[in-house]
Amino acid sequence: MTASEPAGPAVHEQSRARYPDQAGFVERPGARVFYEVYGSGEPAILFLPTWTLVHSRIWKMQIPDFARRHKVITFDPRGNGRSDRPTDVAAYAETEFEADALAVLDATGTDRAVIVSLSMGAHRALLLATEHPERVEGAIFVAPSLPFNASYDRKKALKAFLAPAPNDEGWNKYNATYWRRAYPDFLEFFFGQGFSEAHSTKPREDAVSWGRETDPETLIRSTVRDGLNNREAALERASRVHCPVLVIHGTDDDIRDHADGAELARLTGGQFLSIERGGHFPNVRDPVLVNLAIRDFVRRLGDES
Amino acid sequence: MTGPSTITWTRALRRPRRALYISSPIGLGHAQRDVSIAAELRKLQPDLEIDWLAQHPVTAVLEAHGERLHPRSAELASESAHIAAESSEHDLNCFQAIRRMDEILINNFMVFHDAVSEGDYDLVVADEAWDIDYYWHENPELKRTAFAWMTDFVGWLPMPAGGEREAFLTADYNAEMIEHVERFPRIRDRAIFVGEPDDIVPDSFGPGLPAIRDWTERHYDFSGYITGFDPAPLIEGREELRRELGFEPDQRVVVVTVGGSGVGEALLRRVIASYPEAKRRVNGLRMIVVAGPRIDPASLGANPEIEVLAFVPNLYRRLAACDLAVVQGGLTTTMELAAGRRPFLYFPLRNHFEQNRHVRHRLNRYGAGRYMDYDASPPEVIAEAIAAEIDRPIDSRPVETDGAARAAALIAPLL
Repeated sequence: MTASEPAGPAVHEQSRARYPDQAGFVERPGARVFYEVYGSGEPAILFLPTWTLVHSRIWKMQIPDFARRHKVITFDPRGNGRSDRPTDVAAYAETEFEADALAVLDATGTDRAVIVSLSMGAHRALLLATEHPERVEGAIFVAPSLPFNASYDRKKALKAFLAPAPNDEGWNKYNATYWRRAYPDFLEFFFGQGFSEAHSTKPREDAVSWGRETDPETLIRSTVRDGLNNREAALERASRVHCPVLVIHGTDDDIRDHADGAELARLTGGQFLSIERGGHFPNVRDPVLVNLAIRDFVRRLGDES
Repeated sequence: MTGPSTITWTRALRRPRRALYISSPIGLGHAQRDVSIAAELRKLQPDLEIDWLAQHPVTAVLEAHGERLHPRSAELASESAHIAAESSEHDLNCFQAIRRMDEILINNFMVFHDAVSEGDYDLVVADEAWDIDYYWHENPELKRTAFAWMTDFVGWLPMPAGGEREAFLTADYNAEMIEHVERFPRIRDRAIFVGEPDDIVPDSFGPGLPAIRDWTERHYDFSGYITGFDPAPLIEGREELRRELGFEPDQRVVVVTVGGSGVGEALLRRVIASYPEAKRRVNGLRMIVVAGPRIDPASLGANPEIEVLAFVPNLYRRLAACDLAVVQGGLTTTMELAAGRRPFLYFPLRNHFEQNRHVRHRLNRYGAGRYMDYDASPPEVIAEAIAAEIDRPIDSRPVETDGAARAAALIAPLL
């Protein structure tokens, strides 16, 4: 197996509030996946990777807080962080991420966990909650990215993604040929959209630096791979989630529709926390609110059991 | 002890007055001044109970004064270790270091939130506890006590090496702070500037933003400087102190110190290299170099005529007794020297906006110390400055001694 070089050097990582008590790799066919464990206490909380664009540091505003009371588990997605960057598109199939999560739970001796997902992480979270309900105590979806919009056409979207765009403006930057030409500018654009709140310079810088730890070809593979891309299948799967659910979504999310989050909450019978005027990364931009909401959700799980 | 299912509630009128005090662990000076403010607060409110949510090195000062540490203090992530990690030879971009502390700040805010939710506190006092001020403004519904905010500088300022980007970022941080305070005046029940209006830099917060001084005068009260100790006995007893320390009458003693900082070695080496020339210029020169706990004295390879000491307890006594001090540009040490009326050379760390701009402005106002640019000061320049300053009569403005009492008088009405 080969791994391609990261697109750019990362600046030295800033101090963490807390360092993992345990870290290692799970050896999956085709990829080694890097995980970390912090703290102890039930229930365990698994913060799932989102799109390969960033790695597990996207949860840095949650990890130290929850590790004070819980066993916190994170892992880097295939294609970023310390996980491998396989060159085969099939290695980025959603089922591989699902299997990575199970392998990490096994490797860390974790029978069950609360799973927390962000954006595209909703795909793996839905697979875990429906295929392996015995491993999932509850599911929190932050700014879920799911193909609920009726106008979404995966085939058309892929074709547009792979062909050169008519120009390089706005969302036309979300394009494979553009990434190959101007990857750093795509990162600036994307996280500028994602952090739509004023005074977000630091979160944008962080996210761009994590994006530079992978490369355009890897990111293209992670984009064209098989995911939960069919609307009917995604709706049907969401309606089969039976564990407690919390969905958090900002009304100013310029990456994924707030309406999709509301729909996911409705389908799963979950609670919906709507952040008025919030962007795509509330776990980063409104960490106090999100941490307290997750805390409250986890406490209520305890009350019910 | 009570069981996990027990809830305790004390009837309001039977509760003692309680404060949770948070003192910044960045720099050495906050703890000393905060302990002296706490003592003054107790004079005004004798039934006041104070818990401290604190970390190293603040905890060492609190322990020495028998103050009570909140048990959640153990859950705080270290800010001073982060600042040390961000430093290199005589260099600390402290604006970027604070930005790069965001994970530590959210952790410490959540710990604070737990502490304040679990205790019947009437008041929170935060001396440059950025996390509390920032996140209470971001989450105003979480504020549940009176809040006294204190700082000795207002305004993030760019350093030239940071270019346009740093100028943009500092302005953006200032703008956010101004928006916070103006939108939610109910968060800071008292904002105390540790100093006088004249100590505020003459700069603006950034393009299109207010002048720092105007805005600060409108939004802060002023306590004057707070040394945390009374310099009068040291000034009056200086001759006796010199005898105790073995400083001979014909000796002119230069004390060189970088405090507990690990980034001071380059400065120590350079001052050591200035010794032969300084000795030629200054009759009776005796140089004492305090390496501090993080620098091995032997590693400095100093001229054997120079005394190199590792750790010195009560360093302030040597500083009060010396003829000249050579130090970095931190506010606490330089103001201690100003209060003790000693001449000194100070070398702000490169890229440290607070030392280079805020502290320097304040020292100019007092007429205390001589600013030295580290990069423009080879050993011969340092020797020349030592010779020029060591005999200069002290004409600096006296440092106020009632700062802690003034701060306490501003805070006490919240209790």
